[in-house]
Amino acid sequence: MSAMSGWLELADIQGRPKRMWTQSLSWVLFALGVAVYLQFSIARHRENPDDRVMPTGTQLMAGVHSAVMDQPEEDDPLADGASRWERVTHGMLWKDTVASGERFGISLLLLIPAILLGLHMAVFPLAESVFLRFFLFFDKIVALSLLPILFIVFGIDQWSKIMLMVIGVGPTLVLDTYNLAKAVPREQVVKAFTLKSSNLDVAYRVVLKQILPQVINSVRLNLKPLALFLFAGEMIASTDGLAYRIALMRRHMGMDIILPYLLWVALLLFVLDGTLRLVNRRLNPWY
Amino acid sequence: MVLRAMERRAKQRVMPVRAAAETEIALRDVTVRYKLAGGGSKTVLHRLNVEIRAGEFVAVLGETGCGKSTLLRMVLGQEFPNEGAVVVDGKPVRRIDARCGYVPQKYALFPDRSVMQNVLYGPENAFCGWMGRARPRFWRFRRELRAEATQMLLRMGLKSGDFSKYPGQLSGGMQQRVAIAQALMMRPPVLLMDEAFSALDPSTRASLQQQLKDAWQETKPTVLFVTHNTSEALLLATRVLVLRPHAEGETESNVLVDMQVPHTNEPLSVRRRTREFEQLHEHVKQLAFRESDGGTELVPTGLVQEMPRRGDAAE
Ligand SMILES: Nc1ncnc2c1ncn2[C@@H]1O[C@H](COP(=O)(O)OP(=O)(O)O)[C@@H](O)[C@H]1O
Ligand SMILES: [Mg+2]
Repeated sequence: MSAMSGWLELADIQGRPKRMWTQSLSWVLFALGVAVYLQFSIARHRENPDDRVMPTGTQLMAGVHSAVMDQPEEDDPLADGASRWERVTHGMLWKDTVASGERFGISLLLLIPAILLGLHMAVFPLAESVFLRFFLFFDKIVALSLLPILFIVFGIDQWSKIMLMVIGVGPTLVLDTYNLAKAVPREQVVKAFTLKSSNLDVAYRVVLKQILPQVINSVRLNLKPLALFLFAGEMIASTDGLAYRIALMRRHMGMDIILPYLLWVALLLFVLDGTLRLVNRRLNPWY
Repeated sequence: MVLRAMERRAKQRVMPVRAAAETEIALRDVTVRYKLAGGGSKTVLHRLNVEIRAGEFVAVLGETGCGKSTLLRMVLGQEFPNEGAVVVDGKPVRRIDARCGYVPQKYALFPDRSVMQNVLYGPENAFCGWMGRARPRFWRFRRELRAEATQMLLRMGLKSGDFSKYPGQLSGGMQQRVAIAQALMMRPPVLLMDEAFSALDPSTRASLQQQLKDAWQETKPTVLFVTHNTSEALLLATRVLVLRPHAEGETESNVLVDMQVPHTNEPLSVRRRTREFEQLHEHVKQLAFRESDGGTELVPTGLVQEMPRRGDAAE
């Protein structure tokens, strides 16, 4: 009866489904995904026991274990007596996560000046006239096409990848912050000056403070492009990193490693996004 | 017109508003044109000559689009006239500064600051720059300031429970009360208000009008109060300016009426019901709206009839 009325509520805009019901519904697609995958995986393995495209549950668990505990093939093997902890911190997942995370973190830090530039462009007319046109154009350059130049200028390790991410996402963030700051009502700026604000007061304590929650949301939306550029860089030229491993495994169809890696990356982004959302709510209770 | 102007000048000589009747705001031959999108330009203000003395409460009336806000922006220093000069407090206006307090119709408060922080923002800036705030002297000052701000907010009709709320959590009327308190805390010589009460319901509006009038009577700042409501203008102001839209090719100024309003001490709620006030209201309406047939006057409330509801009528 209650399930019946629940299904009816799916088509009722004014419906107020119970919390238990909405909570369990929110997991349905996950469960469905897993079920469909296992179904196909089992079917494929029945036809060909050596199938490598859709590893079974047990194979996946073995893959996870190997990703966490085993060293990458390019490293020198550990001594036999290595502790569990040592094995994890020398394992491929750990090593790749640290390498990719470092690139990701540095790029995020380098995006802070981009945000401040956007702010200054919106607030100071002179900065606007210097930078706006350039960034409107620069934003249209397809960042990946710059990769060869980046490799030459920054070498093929760390910095070329970091610069790819910054060049890929930076202009978007500059322009987004610029638009957000421009949308702050003129009254606010005028009012601030009548309240004896200095120029920097207006820029940082009035305008930036007001748009900060939207800027953080914009960064959240840009996490995905950022990861995309990171993966592009790592897949093309790298000796470590999450995407490097995926590209490597693809060569010998190591789906039992690739799938856990893929889910791990999604989980990391999901957690990072959620953290930023939480920080946003803490920092800006008024929003 | 000429007679009226002479009458006005005579009145000015007889009853100075403040001991020192120096000119606080002067607009000299101010002309403002805006470029139109399709080429050409449109004159909004034409050869305006207005002298406002310290302590006057001037209401600026006129229909929408006649340049009231433009006038205010000139005094504020947000824009500059194409011709002529604007002088505030003896100095030409060059940039927006703390000479003028400002209460716009919307976006008056900083949404990311609580009511109390909004009110403290200006005086704190005036006391010292951002760097000086670690010193104990600042914290002592801040304690005194808080007491003063509390007084001011209570006087404007807020409850102490509201002090820590954000503007988004307050009604429009409450927000305007805070905005006025915020501006008055700076004790500006000039207070500019642009349709500050226009979005409020009648009873909130009436109570805010009284509070503004009281606050003005205490400290006597020079007020420039833009409104399109005639009775509001006549209730509050000591002087009323009526602007009219400038028609292309006209040579005279677009100040239509410039008159003193007789001063009384009654509460506004009493005042608005007196016969004298009604006559005054009628008089100004005749003067100001005889050409534009009262297009901007608000419909008097109380005339809205009950309508049957649709659902009920169907039965
Ligand atoms: N920045 C601008 N550019 C072009 N026209 C403007 C600008 N600001 C105001 N105007 C025009 O000037 C006229 C007066 O505007 P305003 O002073 O805002 O009128 P109001 O009396 O309603 O406050 C309007 O017709 C408006 O369209
Ligand atoms: Mg206006």
